[in-house]
Amino acid sequence: MMRYAVEYNYTNVTGMPIRFIGVPFPVAGQPREVHRRYVRGNDMLTGKPMMPAIVEHLTKPLTKDEKYSGPAPAPTPEPRFLPPDTEDNLHRLFKDKDWTDYNPIILPTEERVKAMLEGTSHSPDKVVKVIDWPGGKREFTVEKVAICAVMVGAKPEYMPLILAVATQVPFGNSTSSMANMILVNGPIRDELGMNYKGNAMGPHNDVNSVVGRSLTIMSKTAGNIHHNVTTFSTLGSNLQYNNLCIAENEEALPEGWVPYHVKNNFKPNDSTASFGTGWTYISSVGEMQKAYPSHFLMRDYMRSLAAIGGGTVIMDPTVAELLKADYNMNTKDDLSKYLADNVEKTVDSFFGNGVAATMFLPMARQGIPPYADYLKLDGNTLIKPLNARSINIVVVGGGIQTTWFVTDFGLGRPVSIDAWR
Amino acid sequence: MKRISISAKLLLMVAVLALISNTLYGSEKITVMNPAIANPGVDRVALTERLKSLDGKTLYLVDINWGGPDAAYGVFEEMKIWFNENMPKVNVIVKRKTGSYMADDKDLWKEIGEKGNAAVIGVSG
Repeated sequence: MMRYAVEYNYTNVTGMPIRFIGVPFPVAGQPREVHRRYVRGNDMLTGKPMMPAIVEHLTKPLTKDEKYSGPAPAPTPEPRFLPPDTEDNLHRLFKDKDWTDYNPIILPTEERVKAMLEGTSHSPDKVVKVIDWPGGKREFTVEKVAICAVMVGAKPEYMPLILAVATQVPFGNSTSSMANMILVNGPIRDELGMNYKGNAMGPHNDVNSVVGRSLTIMSKTAGNIHHNVTTFSTLGSNLQYNNLCIAENEEALPEGWVPYHVKNNFKPNDSTASFGTGWTYISSVGEMQKAYPSHFLMRDYMRSLAAIGGGTVIMDPTVAELLKADYNMNTKDDLSKYLADNVEKTVDSFFGNGVAATMFLPMARQGIPPYADYLKLDGNTLIKPLNARSINIVVVGGGIQTTWFVTDFGLGRPVSIDAWR
Repeated sequence: MKRISISAKLLLMVAVLALISNTLYGSEKITVMNPAIANPGVDRVALTERLKSLDGKTLYLVDINWGGPDAAYGVFEEMKIWFNENMPKVNVIVKRKTGSYMADDKDLWKEIGEKGNAAVIGVSG
């Protein structure tokens, strides 16, 4: 039994001063006896017996504050500058505020932020995104992005890319220990010097490292993602340190295979960033074998990752070349279709996943296809839960080994980086 | 005159040492920019007036399907049992909302508005 979501005051996040109690966690998957114990136990917020607390919420007369309708009271101000202090104390403050990932940061002095703003033509007060989670419309400006860019050690020329990343703040986050992914396409890769060849997914490049980190820092500062206050991932994810920040090795794509942004109606010379959420990836662990080629193993492994109907395959260019030359995968779509047509799992296994149960089981009971059709089948019946349009193929790597990862990361429509130059 | 000169030199030495000390040990104060954003809040909507008593009233307990339709339903059934044992004059109706926890369910909200007097909605996560 744990205290869940009780450190944050949700009272007015929707504008209505809701009265709520704190139910112990976990709830899902627990036997009836546990549910009974929760109900007969105490409200995690007040420590009072839970059911009398609920009755009190339903019957206690409204306070003056609860009767109020109108504009929200004036917010607690956040001054543009923090009170002067020593560097040591400021570093401590940033950690105390949970504004870092607990790796060292660069303190955002006005001079540094001003230099960072030279990396974009946009005015410091331009609003990049209005963040309304978890309540209230907070204006995330170019200047605030530049402050975060300084903190993570970015160079001014990274600003257009980091501003595109800022449009996704706060990052995807869930009790299920979700992670995020950033995919960069177009000329910006070489302009900034991103690594999309050997060791592209490792800690060996300034841009890949710093830009990936920026999504986390922006999500914690502007995005208000704080441990046990607004985020309750039960395991968390080590991927949240860098958010799988990669660039596609477009130059190594076989003929007929197009970069992710071009597949999504951008021009080859456009620079874009695409974002996804997911949880995990599985590696081929070694070279492709003729006796059981890569797409067979990808199919096998994707059975484990098919809960949300799609995913992203990240492969070395040598895998793409072999799939095209020897197995008639003439486009990325051919591989996506193969996987959608051949990845099978049982109905019970599909709905046995908590995210699928949360998202799709209610839809199934509502009569919405294909989920409603699955429910009509015996639990051991094999279904094909993947959608070819939701299976993305990305080529990254140095051509050193026929290695690949299958992942359950969904990728959204690319965001223009050029718009933030 | 010589005494003044020595004092001036001493003061200068102290100032230089203080400066070195500040630099070496980081006690010099600097000003940095604030990454946080003020939250302007959301326009307020008043709560509905509370009931004086739940006796004789209809109370809806609504499961929002978080974790799946079977995840928290047992919690609401246990709540209904508690009401039956402790406040039997309350008419308790347990319902699952339609769709996932993120989907609106206008029909259910309408039903509660027409037939109910109060509602408890959850379990969120």
